[in-house]
Amino acid sequence: MCDGDQKGVAIMAQVIADRRDVDFVLFEQLDVEQLTQFGKFEEFNRKTIDMVISEARNLAVKEILPTQQDGDSQGCKFENGIVKVPESFHRAYKHFIEGEWLALPEDPEYGGQGMPRTVALATSDFFNGANYSFMMYPGLTHGAALLVEAFGTKKLKDLFLKNMFTGTWTGTMLLTEPEAGSDLGRLTTTAVKNEDGTYSITGNKIFISSGEHNLSENIIHPVLARIEGAPEGTKGISLFLVPKVWVKDNGALGGFNDVICTGIEEKMGIHGNSTCSLTLGGKGQCRGYLLGEENKGMRAMFLMMNEARLLVGMQALSCASASYINAINYARERIQGRHLLKVMQPDAPSVPIIQHPDVRRMLINMKAYVEGMRSLLYYVGLLTDKAAQTDNEQERVKYQGMIDLLIPIAKGYVTDRSHDVCNNGMQVYGGYGYIREYPQEQLVRDCRITMIYEGTNGIQAMDLLGRKLGLNQGKPIMDLMGEVQTTIAKAKEFETLKPLAKDLEKALNRLAEVAMTLGASAMSAKALNAFSFAVPFMEASGDVVMAWMLLWRAAIARQKLEGKAKKKDQKFYEGQIKSAEYFIQSIIPVTMGKMDAIMISSPSIVQIEEDSFGGK
Amino acid sequence: MDILVLLKQVPDTESMISIADDGVSIKGDGLKYVINPYDELAVEQALKIREAQGGTVTIVSVGSAKTEQAIRTGLAMGADKAVLIDATGMMIDGLGTAKIMAAAIKELPCDLIFAGHRAVDDDNYLVGPATAEFMGIPNISMAIKAEVQDGAIVCQCTVEGGTKDVKAMLPALVTTQRGLNEPRYTSLPGIMKAKRKPMDVKTVADLGLDAAELKPLVTIKSMSQPPERKGGRMIEGDSVQAKVAELVRVLHEEAKVI
Repeated sequence: MCDGDQKGVAIMAQVIADRRDVDFVLFEQLDVEQLTQFGKFEEFNRKTIDMVISEARNLAVKEILPTQQDGDSQGCKFENGIVKVPESFHRAYKHFIEGEWLALPEDPEYGGQGMPRTVALATSDFFNGANYSFMMYPGLTHGAALLVEAFGTKKLKDLFLKNMFTGTWTGTMLLTEPEAGSDLGRLTTTAVKNEDGTYSITGNKIFISSGEHNLSENIIHPVLARIEGAPEGTKGISLFLVPKVWVKDNGALGGFNDVICTGIEEKMGIHGNSTCSLTLGGKGQCRGYLLGEENKGMRAMFLMMNEARLLVGMQALSCASASYINAINYARERIQGRHLLKVMQPDAPSVPIIQHPDVRRMLINMKAYVEGMRSLLYYVGLLTDKAAQTDNEQERVKYQGMIDLLIPIAKGYVTDRSHDVCNNGMQVYGGYGYIREYPQEQLVRDCRITMIYEGTNGIQAMDLLGRKLGLNQGKPIMDLMGEVQTTIAKAKEFETLKPLAKDLEKALNRLAEVAMTLGASAMSAKALNAFSFAVPFMEASGDVVMAWMLLWRAAIARQKLEGKAKKKDQKFYEGQIKSAEYFIQSIIPVTMGKMDAIMISSPSIVQIEEDSFGGK
Repeated sequence: MDILVLLKQVPDTESMISIADDGVSIKGDGLKYVINPYDELAVEQALKIREAQGGTVTIVSVGSAKTEQAIRTGLAMGADKAVLIDATGMMIDGLGTAKIMAAAIKELPCDLIFAGHRAVDDDNYLVGPATAEFMGIPNISMAIKAEVQDGAIVCQCTVEGGTKDVKAMLPALVTTQRGLNEPRYTSLPGIMKAKRKPMDVKTVADLGLDAAELKPLVTIKSMSQPPERKGGRMIEGDSVQAKVAELVRVLHEEAKVI
């Protein structure tokens, strides 16, 4: 901090995420201060938000980022049913919960901070980018507590909420079983009602993130299980709250509740987070409380799904953002090879690799995606805040529809593209990108799971095509297109942005056409064929949304440049315009091609006989 | 116990500093400002003593309207209230700042004062001791331990190559050295509460001082950046043996390190 340490701080000046870009999205693009119009958020003016983000960044850089490599190299250790997290996680966790960062948007009565979700997302940009396998402990705790808040009785809220929102106890989510992954309807964990109203739970769960660890004295598991005699499939699933250590009615800890960790998975990445197999009621001693109504467990899950999927998008973006910042710093310093135009001069000096055209291509690609994705995720956060606060029912329905429509893109598309960004980030480093001494390969590995968990990206694409496109007779997609049109009209006010606006308009119109055709075919006899193009459709939709976000940014930047932009801001704004130009001129033409392919909808995918795949 | 903390806002140590066109000041445009890191230690120590003994912690700062940001951060850490002396546009040196501090403190209940031993922007080491001098109270510099015992402050301080234990009767002023404590992070509830904590804003005239007596005794003649780091030098040679021989020669004859 003082004296000699200053150098360390200077080197860390640009890590995790570009603060200028975070501020740009919050204050210039989304005008997050508009939320002060709602009584609940009246205190959250720019000064306060600035202070919150600064402190989040401070804590992320000084306390959480230093645990990133430990999380990966030490990982979690499993011994005799006990899981130990890397030693450095304890200190970081202590600071995190002492600062009360765990439940930013939640009810202050139960230990939350009553903050806009958009601001909470911006803090998690830094926290997750610092070490997201660590952040999964408080993150899942927050998600589990939200279930208690939404479906728990007064008694359960009083017993559990405060200790969860403050991080004294942590939380998880027990869904997956060996035979019930994407298809939860097949789960076999059972619940039998006891005389005291609790339920005895028996079953095996796998892939449970943060399922067992030594960060907190108690772990609270929301569990999906089937009450004896309940219907088959998803209609017979109920949600229970099962603590690792029983909590007595007076709030004191009771005895061990027979939730045993039988092992942890060896994974490709996120080694700092324990992925556990849990046996519930192996000795017949596991009890839980019903959360919500019997057989309504899946409904409860769906209510939480948007938030969970948005956060997975944020995990991925954080990896991409960190990888980009690392790559840009490295490319400015790494000297290798002569300038391309001087390659024939043996005495020409070697130059920083940022001067090489192909390295620049990778960097601007990463830049454009990171910026577009940050805007998209914060935008969904803003819609969530507005939907929750507005008194106008028509507006609320509009915002909620757009959230529902955008979530599969915010999860599926964003995690796919984030992984691409991390791959480019590794490539910029050359051979050093592939070795463990440098941070880039870890980000590739850590980021990869986000494409799989919380509903695989294939499922996201099917959700977009099968459910979200036709939601409310297609009103959300019409609303979304209306918003894109507004940006296009705004951009057309600037002569230099007109061509970009026209290109986006063309892509938007084509997307509307593709959506109509594919949407209709998804509900026809050609459904199989249509769904075999669900992922390409999600990609095309995501590309158009990216182009929209980037053109929106460019229009603001143009306006600022024509006014009196501060000198240090000029390059930033010019960079915004370049991102939009790059994306709309280099990516959108490919998107047009992707849309042509969807319109052809080659039947080969569906028609090929299983035996014709070969291999046997 | 009424504890005061002298706090200065300085450019963030992460900032890239450049010299302004006048050649004697730095460009303020676009700089991020923070609490002087040694003053952060002072806030933390004041909070620790308050937590142990009860009382109040008041931040006193000389600056301009933008100084409020650093003050609010100190309030978010847990200080109770603040006084800002707005000296916008005035050229003041360390002694002048100390005069203002002493005048401001005269109006406040005060048992103990903490200040950073220096500010990391101009490295003057002056304001703390000079304030104590103007107030006629004891000063202890560079404390790495500070405890209140029976109306006195007992400190361990760094001296060249070692430490010394010293004691002064209260009221006294103590300047902080790295190692004294680990400043806490501001918590979210702290940030929210800080907005509502009282901050008095006064001018130099309000304190009964006039500009003439604050005229700087030291003026800055010019400023320059440290020399840029030179690139590394590659040792040329046809073989490893030749390169090693050349390297040894260079280290011996030119660098004179072996």
